[in-house]
Amino acid sequence: MKAPAQPGPVTKQSWPGSLFVRLLLIFFIGIVTAQAMAYALVMYERTMAGRGLMLENLERDFASSIAILDRVPADERAAWLPLLDRINYHYQLGAGLKGQGPDTALAQRVSAAIADTVGPRHKAAVRAIPGEPDRVQVHLVLGDGAPVTIDLQASSMPVSPWLPALLLLQLALLAICAFFAVRIATEPLQRLAQAADALGPDLKGTALPEDGPTEVARASTAFNAMQKRIAGYIKERTQILAAISHDLQTPITRMRLRTDLMDEGEQRSKLQHDLDEMVLLVREALAYARSLHGTDESPRRMDLDALLDTMRCDYDDAGSPVSVTGQVSRPVMGRPLALRRILGNLTDNALKFGHDVKLTVQVNVQEEIEISVLDRGPGIHESELDAVLQPFYRVENSRNRETGGTGLGLAIAQQLAVSMGARLTLSNRTGGGLCARLVMPAAWAD
Amino acid sequence: MNPMHADHILIVDDDRDICELLGTYLEKNGLRVTKAPTGKHMRAALDNVAVDLIVLDLMLPGEDGLTLCRDLRAGKFKAIPIVMLTARNEEADRILGLEMGADDYLAKPFAARELLARIHAVLRRARMLPPNLRVDEASHLLSFGAWQLDTTGRHLIDASGTLVPLSGAEYRLLRVFLDHPQRVLNRDQLLNLTQGRDAELFERSIDLLVSRLRQRLQDDAREPRYLKTVRSEGYVFCAAVQGKAS
Repeated sequence: MKAPAQPGPVTKQSWPGSLFVRLLLIFFIGIVTAQAMAYALVMYERTMAGRGLMLENLERDFASSIAILDRVPADERAAWLPLLDRINYHYQLGAGLKGQGPDTALAQRVSAAIADTVGPRHKAAVRAIPGEPDRVQVHLVLGDGAPVTIDLQASSMPVSPWLPALLLLQLALLAICAFFAVRIATEPLQRLAQAADALGPDLKGTALPEDGPTEVARASTAFNAMQKRIAGYIKERTQILAAISHDLQTPITRMRLRTDLMDEGEQRSKLQHDLDEMVLLVREALAYARSLHGTDESPRRMDLDALLDTMRCDYDDAGSPVSVTGQVSRPVMGRPLALRRILGNLTDNALKFGHDVKLTVQVNVQEEIEISVLDRGPGIHESELDAVLQPFYRVENSRNRETGGTGLGLAIAQQLAVSMGARLTLSNRTGGGLCARLVMPAAWAD
Repeated sequence: MNPMHADHILIVDDDRDICELLGTYLEKNGLRVTKAPTGKHMRAALDNVAVDLIVLDLMLPGEDGLTLCRDLRAGKFKAIPIVMLTARNEEADRILGLEMGADDYLAKPFAARELLARIHAVLRRARMLPPNLRVDEASHLLSFGAWQLDTTGRHLIDASGTLVPLSGAEYRLLRVFLDHPQRVLNRDQLLNLTQGRDAELFERSIDLLVSRLRQRLQDDAREPRYLKTVRSEGYVFCAAVQGKAS
């Protein structure tokens, strides 16, 4: 109903405000984590399987390799070494690295594997290399007393280079899917918000299309129904206001005529003054009720400069001169009656509370027509600038009941402005006084 | 004032209190009054007494004020001026009232003094100029030269169809000229005829208003196409005026 809602308080600063970003983030983090876990699982399985296979072969392979080295003459052993090498381990002639007892898991498994074969025969000692959990050295002594070392590196098999690329591609695909899915989910919300914003004070909200996914369609249907109900309530309220105001006219007429027949005196003139106030209130209430329906006047080709000039003449004739500056110099498409009423109410207001009333008109850089009604007076406190456009609102201090008025003049102007697609804003002027500015899209008549 | 020569006012209003109160007030101010609650009673009264002016309420049971007004204008009582009363302060009613042939309009609630002033103004106007000079009342567009006056919206329309607004005083003056074309009107007449339609005070000199109107109509005072100054007499509207129902 009101101006666009302020964004709600953000509970955590680090959490992004937009639902779109949040959902996208959740999806993305979820997908990346799941992907990483799957990758890790596969890699782990692969490593385990590879290691199991290696250990199983180790037993027989060690036995045969050591037997070969044992029987080959000492000077030919170095030539045999490359032939015995495997991916995970190779043989060295010599004592190897020192290391420590078989305290790593791998070292224990290796020592268990060789315990029955090469172990006892060659005084095998399994040594874990500190700082390298996947590296184990087996120190043996050949039949002729020469030391041999098996250097075992339980490294996993190398990953093919296209795997990361494939993973990235998969990730990108999932991210794109997540983006579209999130958009499908959040877009209806955005449309809903826009429709709610569009349901302005003129109650000419646009109905949402009731199609799309079932949840969205249901929300749209509910929103449209709510929109209709609100319009209905407001209309009812307006009708009550109009009906009461209208029906008050007859009794007020009788009372007014009765006072006219009374003898002249102080009480009579006071009574008449009170009745005049009631009449004004009734008329303004009727005008306000009418303005809520918007104006049924259709835009037509008109001379805006002449309108302002005739207003100047009318105020001049009524003894409260105002000045007009600026010109648009081209015929525009506009609603003359509504415009006159808006500008009339603003000018009356300016004359009532200020002096040196000036009307200015200009075309701004956005090709909009700006008409300002300026006065020199007390202005309105900043905190009340919006509230005074509400019906029956009265400013506390200077602009009170004493100065008369119904509290509807500005509300009527505001309603009419909204109904013709214009904006009415109030601001205080530097140097004192109020500036009421009406901005409307310039529809030039050709 | 001799009651026999006092103006006779027929009040048509279904609210008995308002009828009574108005009647009493007008009688106190030297007028003769007949009251009628409905259109039927109004017709009966018109057949029986000579009425100088009718005060007609817009909202009546049965035939409403607008219908009665139109009937009166079409019949043998078309010369009787009408002041229309309406409870609704809506532009549309105001306009309708004027265009259906009412001579003036007053929105309820009003001060009795105001009605009295209007009655006198309308009677004065009706007597000053015969009614047969009035342009066809049913039309709401009066065209003259390159211009048209829209009497519903109270504005001018130029040759290109652009709406040119008029101030209240300008409209009233132009209307007087258009209602009485080719007739020299002096300043007193113009002042009298221009006043009274609205409560608003009219103190501007007629000359200033005429020059404003000329400006609005883009009329040259030295070679006027519309408003000609007649030396030491007044002004005359010199273009032909045509009524046109749109």
